[in-house]
Amino acid sequence: MPGDHRRIRGPEESQPPQLYAADEDQEPDARDPTRLRPVYARSGLLSQAKGSAYLEAGGTKVLCAVSGPRQVEGGERGGGPAGAGGEAPAALRGRLICDFRRAPFAGRRRSPPQGSGEERELALALQEALEPAVRLCRYPRAQLEVSALLLEDGGSALAAALTAAALALADAGIEMYDLVVGCGLSRAPGPSPTWLLDPTRLEEERAAAGLTVALMPVLNQVAGLLGSGEGGPTESWVEAVRLGLEGCQRLYPVLQQCLVRAARRRGAAAQS
Amino acid sequence: MAPPVRYCIPGERLCNLEEGSPGSGTYTRHGYIFSSLAGCVTKSSENGALPVVSVMRETESQLLPDVGAIVTCKVEIYKSFRPGDIVLAKVISLGDAQSNYLLTTAENELGVVVAHSESGVQMVPISWCEMQCPKTHTKEFRKVARVQPEFLQT
Repeated sequence: MPGDHRRIRGPEESQPPQLYAADEDQEPDARDPTRLRPVYARSGLLSQAKGSAYLEAGGTKVLCAVSGPRQVEGGERGGGPAGAGGEAPAALRGRLICDFRRAPFAGRRRSPPQGSGEERELALALQEALEPAVRLCRYPRAQLEVSALLLEDGGSALAAALTAAALALADAGIEMYDLVVGCGLSRAPGPSPTWLLDPTRLEEERAAAGLTVALMPVLNQVAGLLGSGEGGPTESWVEAVRLGLEGCQRLYPVLQQCLVRAARRRGAAAQS
Repeated sequence: MAPPVRYCIPGERLCNLEEGSPGSGTYTRHGYIFSSLAGCVTKSSENGALPVVSVMRETESQLLPDVGAIVTCKVEIYKSFRPGDIVLAKVISLGDAQSNYLLTTAENELGVVVAHSESGVQMVPISWCEMQCPKTHTKEFRKVARVQPEFLQT
């Protein structure tokens, strides 16, 4: 009997059935909680951007571009209090504007193109972590724009975006005190809280708590810290931060190589 | 034979403050010189003084002019003022030992208030950059001040 389309309405959206099937990779086997996925980093790949960087860590792919410094009319802000250490007063320092965007095809389900609150929160976290590293006093009344685009979310997206943004800033020739390296962690639900370094998307989805640390490796200063989820003993969070900082230090040589290679490429291009 | 080029990244420790003095693209902390840019390290061998350690990028040396940098500007003074004009200006600095005041007219309310045309007649402002002589109707360029109404005497 033909279906009664006027009274029986089908669902508006249709999804592939695999979405509702059980995941093929079941509970992942006990992995080394301190393992870092191999990272591919490349800077200076966009010709039209001042500075750019692409970072891949496992399934996470993020592309970051930097433009500026652009002159901003800052006359109306007035003289703010001078920063610590005799830096330029607040009105004369440059500004960093960060934008974090998730591509609609980044997750398993298509997300709407317009930004959500989570993206604004992550953009703010990006800005807070990058500000200590950039020498903004060298760019008075100027504005730097950093935009990160997440192409695929395979876990630890914010950490990858942080690292890519720092690489892009260095590639753009913006003066910085140090690079910023980001590392993600997650803790599975359960009685014994073991923190996993650099979680995959599955581990992040099943996690009870997550943490992202941003470290400036040479200065050994934490640039940013963003955590969420269930509480728990303070010692476990301390342990997580320590694990994250270790992971950041381990990532540093890869990023160093990436920037040196990009500088070499630029030098070779300038000579030819 | 070209000297080996040493590349560095921001935050890389270059050398001690005793071995060199910081140049452009570097900063100092805890008695060491760190790089601030991703580029090539260059050491200029000064005779006598310490070598200056700086980091150079191949593309552009500096993005924005520093305080004290020498820049070239193209100005057309004859379009802003002529000798004999009465000008409303603001003091921005009391000057140094020679006690020369530094004045600026870089605001809407500042600039030429009274000016005489080449025929000797006082001109009437018609826009922020032009004044007209009422006798010969010729227009001349000046940077005209937008005087506040309370200062005008009518």
